[in-house]
Amino acid sequence: MIMLETNKVTINFGGLIAVNEVSIRVAEHKITALIGPNGAGKTTLFNCISGVYVPASGEVLLDGLHLEGKMGYQINKAGIARTYQVINLFWKMSVLENVLVGMHSRLKSNFWDCLLHTKKKREEEAEILTKAHEWLDFVGLSQYANAPAGSLSYGKQRLLEIIRGLASDPKVILLDEPAAGMNSGEKRDLDALLQRILKKGVTILIVEHDMKLIMGISDYIYVLCNGKLLAEGVVRDIQNNPEVVAAYLGGDD
Amino acid sequence: MVNNKKLTNALVLAVALVALPFLIRVINGNEYGVMIMCIMLVYIIAVSGLDILFGYSGQISLGHAAFFVIGAYTTGLLNIYFDTPLYITIPLAAVFSAIIGGIIAYPASKLKFHFLSLATIAFGELVFNFLYVSPGGFTKDYLGIQVIGISFLTDYTRWYFFLLFWVTLGLLAKHSLVNSRTGRAFIAIRENTHAANGMGINVHWNKILAFMISAFYTGLSGALFVHLIKYISPETAKQKQSVLFLTMLLFGGSGSMWGPIIGVVILEILLELIRPFQEYQMFFYGALLLVVIIALPGGIYGGIKDALVSYERRKMGKNLPKSGDDNA
Repeated sequence: MIMLETNKVTINFGGLIAVNEVSIRVAEHKITALIGPNGAGKTTLFNCISGVYVPASGEVLLDGLHLEGKMGYQINKAGIARTYQVINLFWKMSVLENVLVGMHSRLKSNFWDCLLHTKKKREEEAEILTKAHEWLDFVGLSQYANAPAGSLSYGKQRLLEIIRGLASDPKVILLDEPAAGMNSGEKRDLDALLQRILKKGVTILIVEHDMKLIMGISDYIYVLCNGKLLAEGVVRDIQNNPEVVAAYLGGDD
Repeated sequence: MVNNKKLTNALVLAVALVALPFLIRVINGNEYGVMIMCIMLVYIIAVSGLDILFGYSGQISLGHAAFFVIGAYTTGLLNIYFDTPLYITIPLAAVFSAIIGGIIAYPASKLKFHFLSLATIAFGELVFNFLYVSPGGFTKDYLGIQVIGISFLTDYTRWYFFLLFWVTLGLLAKHSLVNSRTGRAFIAIRENTHAANGMGINVHWNKILAFMISAFYTGLSGALFVHLIKYISPETAKQKQSVLFLTMLLFGGSGSMWGPIIGVVILEILLELIRPFQEYQMFFYGALLLVVIIALPGGIYGGIKDALVSYERRKMGKNLPKSGDDNA
């Protein structure tokens, strides 16, 4: 079943076409990867799916629901969580609080509950505190629960961003270069972590430059180059595609 | 055990707060000190309101005295012209201030920091000018308005306990709010607006909400102030009072429960001490702000907290998990 799809999405900035009629399909409970040389438009497409940019034309569908033109917070509520290429945590809040913020769109307490400290709010707060600790446990950040997010190492900040996203109970999580800044041990763990995320019933769309990681985990790969879809297929197809090899040899070192 | 200690602390604090006005009265021989304490309590409500806006949601207001004055004039004028009882006009004043706050916030919350400060300065001046030369002079213009006191609060000691009750209630509500879904949304917006939006927080709406709550507190504070002092003039809406609120907040420590309290109490005492040199008040605020911003960015409260944390750390040795050192 297709969980998330873009249908001929085009995004331009002034005269520059950053993404040109790109259609991708992300299958449910699978890991789909988006790769390509720097400046290919991968993050731009992510930003379009998550509501940072509005596409000039084309559609974005989550489980059949139109998302194009919706605001970021509405898209999160609809069931898409994301992480960022440049880490975007709430730096001065504690690690635990970052996860709690991630749950925002699933909470039912309204403004008056918050102000008047009603039973509904107290129960919900107790409940999400337990849940948040479970998420910290999920990636091994429990001992840092009360430390400011900004004090974590780079790799651990990436992990925190991932669980902050997962805390919103998404259908799909968009991971933008999760391995960037991780050491080799953390990268190995990331592999297993992605499998555990899948087991929780969350579909993954990932942008990553680490080819070893991508080729090891992806169920399906899309290759972007200069804003256009260059190739798509399973790992073996992509590895043997001469156009992809040329794009990478020509673009990256 | 921790709860027991907390309860004891709360009890000690309660006893001290009850004993304080009587003590001051005995020491001073009159009620002047108690009146100053009443003004402190009123200001704590206003500065706590400003804290919700600036300390938590990260939006600056350099015209907050305008909400204070709107609250004061609303209750005063309603009572003067329609003889409406104060138990209706005071809450109404706070609500009206919140509504004005919402109207201002709708466009203002889209502004970036320095543009927002300019817009709020303009708002303060606007309110001042409106009250100073009002249509038909219904605000009594530059004369200001004289209002009645609250009938059953016959002396400042009574006022003190009346205000203490409302301050406690206001601070409890603030405490509940900032430790909730809404409060976390405010802090998230302050810390990282972009990510807050991505985490499902409606940034624009929450910024307006913060403005409205803040204006409610400050408006309520102004409404209580006017019946305490029995007089207010448009001058209060000007820059000086707004800067006073902001200085109190920054000096005490923004984004905290105790910061506004510490800031108001210390600044009010200092203002009493420099009363003979009143023409230097603005100079004094400016100097104080500079010192705080350079030497104590977290204010007095932030400074105390940092000192306590590093003390605890030293006491516990190196047992605390230190992050960020394993793959630096």
